[in-house]
Amino acid sequence: MTGKQKKQISQAIQIVLILITIFVMLVPILWIFMAAFKNHIDVFQLKLFFTPTLENFGTVFEAPYHLGMKLWNSTIVAFVTVALAIPIATMAAYSFSRFRLRGKTAMLVVILATQFMPAVVIILPFFVMFRDVGLLDTRIGLVLVNLAIVMPFAIWMIKGFIDGIPIDTEEAAMVDGSSRIMVIRNIVLPMAAPGLLTAGIFCFIIAWNEFLFALILTNKDAVTLPIGLALFKAEEGDLWNLLSAAGIIIMLPMFILALIIRKYFVQGMTMGAVR
Amino acid sequence: MASVILKNLTKCWGDFIGVDNQSLDIQDHEFLVLLGPSGCGKTTTMRMIAGLEDPTDGEIWIGDRMVNDDLPKDRHVAMVFQNYGLYPHMTVFDNIAYPLRVRGTPKGEIEPRVKKAAGQVELIELLHRKPKALSGGQRQRVALARAIVRTPRVFLMDEPLSNLDAKLRVTMRAELKHLSRELKITTIYVTHDQIEAMTLADRIAVMKDGIIQQVGTPDEIYNDPASLFVAGFIGSPAMNLINGSVQDGYFVTTGGTKLVAVSVPDKPDVVLGVRADDMRISEEGEGDIDARIYAFEHTGEATLLTVQWGTQRVIVRGARHLRKEQGEIVSISLGSDHLYLFNPDTGKRIRG
Ligand SMILES: Nc1ncnc2c1ncn2[C@@H]1O[C@H](COP(=O)(O)OP(=O)(O)OP(=O)(O)O)[C@@H](O)[C@H]1O
Ligand SMILES: [Mg+2]
Repeated sequence: MTGKQKKQISQAIQIVLILITIFVMLVPILWIFMAAFKNHIDVFQLKLFFTPTLENFGTVFEAPYHLGMKLWNSTIVAFVTVALAIPIATMAAYSFSRFRLRGKTAMLVVILATQFMPAVVIILPFFVMFRDVGLLDTRIGLVLVNLAIVMPFAIWMIKGFIDGIPIDTEEAAMVDGSSRIMVIRNIVLPMAAPGLLTAGIFCFIIAWNEFLFALILTNKDAVTLPIGLALFKAEEGDLWNLLSAAGIIIMLPMFILALIIRKYFVQGMTMGAVR
Repeated sequence: MASVILKNLTKCWGDFIGVDNQSLDIQDHEFLVLLGPSGCGKTTTMRMIAGLEDPTDGEIWIGDRMVNDDLPKDRHVAMVFQNYGLYPHMTVFDNIAYPLRVRGTPKGEIEPRVKKAAGQVELIELLHRKPKALSGGQRQRVALARAIVRTPRVFLMDEPLSNLDAKLRVTMRAELKHLSRELKITTIYVTHDQIEAMTLADRIAVMKDGIIQQVGTPDEIYNDPASLFVAGFIGSPAMNLINGSVQDGYFVTTGGTKLVAVSVPDKPDVVLGVRADDMRISEEGEGDIDARIYAFEHTGEATLLTVQWGTQRVIVRGARHLRKEQGEIVSISLGSDHLYLFNPDTGKRIRG
């Protein structure tokens, strides 16, 4: 066998493996995609060819499901979480990255350690606290919870990006006449922008998909999309077509964000120092 | 435009002493070159003057103000960083314009000044590029342009020409010399390049292990070194340092060869320093000492002979057209001026 043939064979094997992986990952999504466009009779049959309908996407927004309100709640909660998390995390990350702080390592470890706490352990205290201060079933309450969830992650991630910015660049800017704030605005933020965007998108995805806390801490007004999915369990069984339509609505922003992230993630990762 | 005065300046990191209790007066308009081996504390000294490193002890004065507690931006110095410190997200133009912009230079003034600075470092065609798309030498010139675009009180230049090719280095050297004379800005300049140091400096400060060994004009440093270290460090090729002793008014090598008359009292252990240029080469038997050629090199404008003197090798500079073969015997003569004697234990000069 020549070297060229060997190479071709190994390439073929690679392609087959990739196809298998893609297939395994995409089949459920494909199934949901089809189910969302089927009527409630077709949905129980494994038909590949059927008359597609948009009816499900209408139904989910009507009574008794009112998915619109949940979509709105999810959007608000996720956006506000990101809008608060990224500036705060950036400031924290900058300090951790650039200043000599007492107990810096310990603080970083503690921040990370909060992530290891199983959510179920703290959910009850949260419930009791929120009940006492009247935050149960409010979007503000959910934003607070989501902040607690995404902040450690955001701080660590953004710190990584800021660590990657060579300190000389900042020092040069200071000698050139900038104050610390100007350095952050003119040098650090633009250079860390891909990183901030990536972190923001990750936080958005986490907040958008958050299920457990929303399940316990909301019941009517502040219900989010993932909880809304549970509505489609009726006496007559699971309403798969509606469930799938709602699933697609949940996934859609993720697809779009995944596309953006792909571009910036690579850029963020490869943006190194310029000597 | 200001003097820079360092008073008992010290920088320690834990037990390690980077700069050790150094004082230095740099006059207004002076061009001072800091010279020293790698790791001797040159960059550290510059960074303390710029305000990027807090001194452990001591005072820094720029003009008539102690600047220890001033932020870098308030010290009005311009620095060329050893590793450039360019802004990767900005074009070359914006990099050079940045110090003007943050200091609120009027809009109309910025472009002509950036163009002028870029022209001085031959970068005009590259103004729209990002640093990532530049070669090392081009990046260094951007860093240089960013410093000379404004008129600071002090220039701090940390090996600003180290990455340029030989030809450009000579051009830039002349450019810098011209600029510093024209603008009359106090300049502190770090280099490893002897010729740069000799040509640019009003005064040279030779540093070693965080300590300034000698400060003086290039002439003093070259022709009147205060210590063994300075003697061996300055000059290319390095000064020949020959171990021996002084007996009956003569310097005698460790091998027992009586070399040359010296005017110091007898002493068992001394080092004789003599530069390659201060010896004459003649045919075998015609000079003071005969020696076998160990290696023969041309440098273009001169020739270099390494000869074996007992256990010691000595480099002698010969005329441009001298042609000798390895292994031949030549005769070397030492004049009695330009000989330097040192105490090998303290490293100090022994003066007659
Ligand atoms: N942040 C630091 N912590 C500990 N030691 C340091 C630090 N910065 C520099 N040093 C040490 O201080 C000494 C002087 O460093 P400096 O950078 O001033 O040397 P230099 O004279 O500029 O050398 P070069 O010619 O190689 O640039 C070195 O031994 C270096 O290892
Ligand atoms: Mg240095």
